[in-house]
Amino acid sequence: MKKKILLIEDDLTIQTQLKTLLAGNGYDVFAVTDFSKAIGQIKDFLPHLVILDIKLPGSNGFEICSQIRTFSDIPIVFVTSSNTEMDELNSIMLGGDAFITKPYNTAILLAKIGALVKRAYPASQTEIISWNEAALHLESSMIEYKGQKAELTKNELKILYYLFRNAGKICSRNDIVDFLWDNQLYVDDNALSVNMTRIRDKLEAIGLTGFIKTKHRQGYTL
Amino acid sequence: MSQKQYLKNQIPAVFANLMGMLALALFLLANGNSMHTVLFIFIVWLIILISYLSVTYYMRKKYMNTLLDMTEQLQERYLIPEIMTIPDRADDQVFYQIMKMAEKSMLEKIGEIQSERKEYKEYIEQWIHEAKTPITAMKLLCENNRSSFARDILTELEHINQYTEQALYYARSEHTEKDYSVREINLCDVVHSAIADNKYLLRQSNMTITMDELECMVYTDDKWVRFILNQIIGNAVKYRTGQPALHFSMVKSNDKIVLSVSDNGMGIPQSDLPRIFEKGFTGQNGRTGKNSTGIGLYLCKRLCDKLGIGLTAHSENKGTTIALSFQINDFVSGVQG
Repeated sequence: MKKKILLIEDDLTIQTQLKTLLAGNGYDVFAVTDFSKAIGQIKDFLPHLVILDIKLPGSNGFEICSQIRTFSDIPIVFVTSSNTEMDELNSIMLGGDAFITKPYNTAILLAKIGALVKRAYPASQTEIISWNEAALHLESSMIEYKGQKAELTKNELKILYYLFRNAGKICSRNDIVDFLWDNQLYVDDNALSVNMTRIRDKLEAIGLTGFIKTKHRQGYTL
Repeated sequence: MSQKQYLKNQIPAVFANLMGMLALALFLLANGNSMHTVLFIFIVWLIILISYLSVTYYMRKKYMNTLLDMTEQLQERYLIPEIMTIPDRADDQVFYQIMKMAEKSMLEKIGEIQSERKEYKEYIEQWIHEAKTPITAMKLLCENNRSSFARDILTELEHINQYTEQALYYARSEHTEKDYSVREINLCDVVHSAIADNKYLLRQSNMTITMDELECMVYTDDKWVRFILNQIIGNAVKYRTGQPALHFSMVKSNDKIVLSVSDNGMGIPQSDLPRIFEKGFTGQNGRTGKNSTGIGLYLCKRLCDKLGIGLTAHSENKGTTIALSFQINDFVSGVQG
């Protein structure tokens, strides 16, 4: 089931772009437009997480936060452009779970959201993504195909994870490296080629020949 | 207080005394007194006059010296009227009054400048916070519409963000008030977020990044350290050479943890090395077309000094290593249990 995120942010561009970003990462996003009715909308929408800007016209993130805390324990992520100690302290005192300053790094933002959601709503089943009978086990870092398994290194797992998540689409080398960097794996273009060769060897060993296709000058696709 | 000048000031009094002595002598002689009596009176008068002059001189000198000492010991010298006793002498009182007036206008001026600076600082901070909203919006726009064009813009945005951060921390570092909070942070996390802040910059410059095991807790302010690392990374990119590489390493010793950031860039000439943390110092490399401002490292040093982090630079022909040393002691962890 998709996790629902309520977005309370007054800048329209950021609001729509953040919505696109979060939707692209598998969340169901609802943006509040009338900040005075934010509380009512939280009660209606029942989000799994709230992203809250501190400075809002006619209202204030801290106020909304303390109001939410009167009836709910959902994770609240504060986003703000002012990174003063006072604001950070206030947000923690009022029950905020994370404090992220603009311009936020999308990778860090997504990681924080992911971690908070995971902590608040522990998933019951282990995470497995599959595509064409091949299954990627995220927790044990393995790939399985018709009963045969191959162990993957951290880099290989992340590369495959990205390809699996974008299965059917073409993933450019640049995007893959970007994704790896977001996961704190600082791989360069050459190292990516090395990793791809190794992944293909491992896949062939378990009978997955030609699983990853190379699109000339465009990238890779499953 | 100069003795000569003092005597010069006493000339009218001495002159009046001499006139008195002359008049008395004429009077006494006219009344038929002997020359001996007159001379005797003269000598006694002179002795009294001289001792009067010397005693008043020494007393005055003592008083003035105490005042001078007091003033010299004061940090804010213009505040001397606040602590000196109100003088008894009529002319001194006038000077005291003048000093009071001068002090007051001085304090007013200082207050005015302070509040002006505070307002300016607040304005700068507010401006930066406002500028960050469009930066964020642009960043999101680019990340949602990935292309090589968007990547270039993201790189430029990282530059802009670095400059705004620099202005923000400059405004903050000028103020004595405490803007940081020290807490236990993981060194590894700060390094990763600093790299993430400069992701596109590093990617575009083909920087190879390597790091040792950095899992380590230190007590410091993560935002400030992140800013410092951002400046160091920015420099590594700016002064890179052929195949740029950046290495993060950590050494733990008894009482400190040293985080080193080494690049293989053009390095810093030995002659420039002692001065790189000075404000406005650009050095040889900076002057040769690299647009150095001489602010980045100066700010790093200032922030480090405030946080109690040791900051050193090391360079031999090629490549630079900047080391941040964090104090750790058992006392902190002991108290925290």
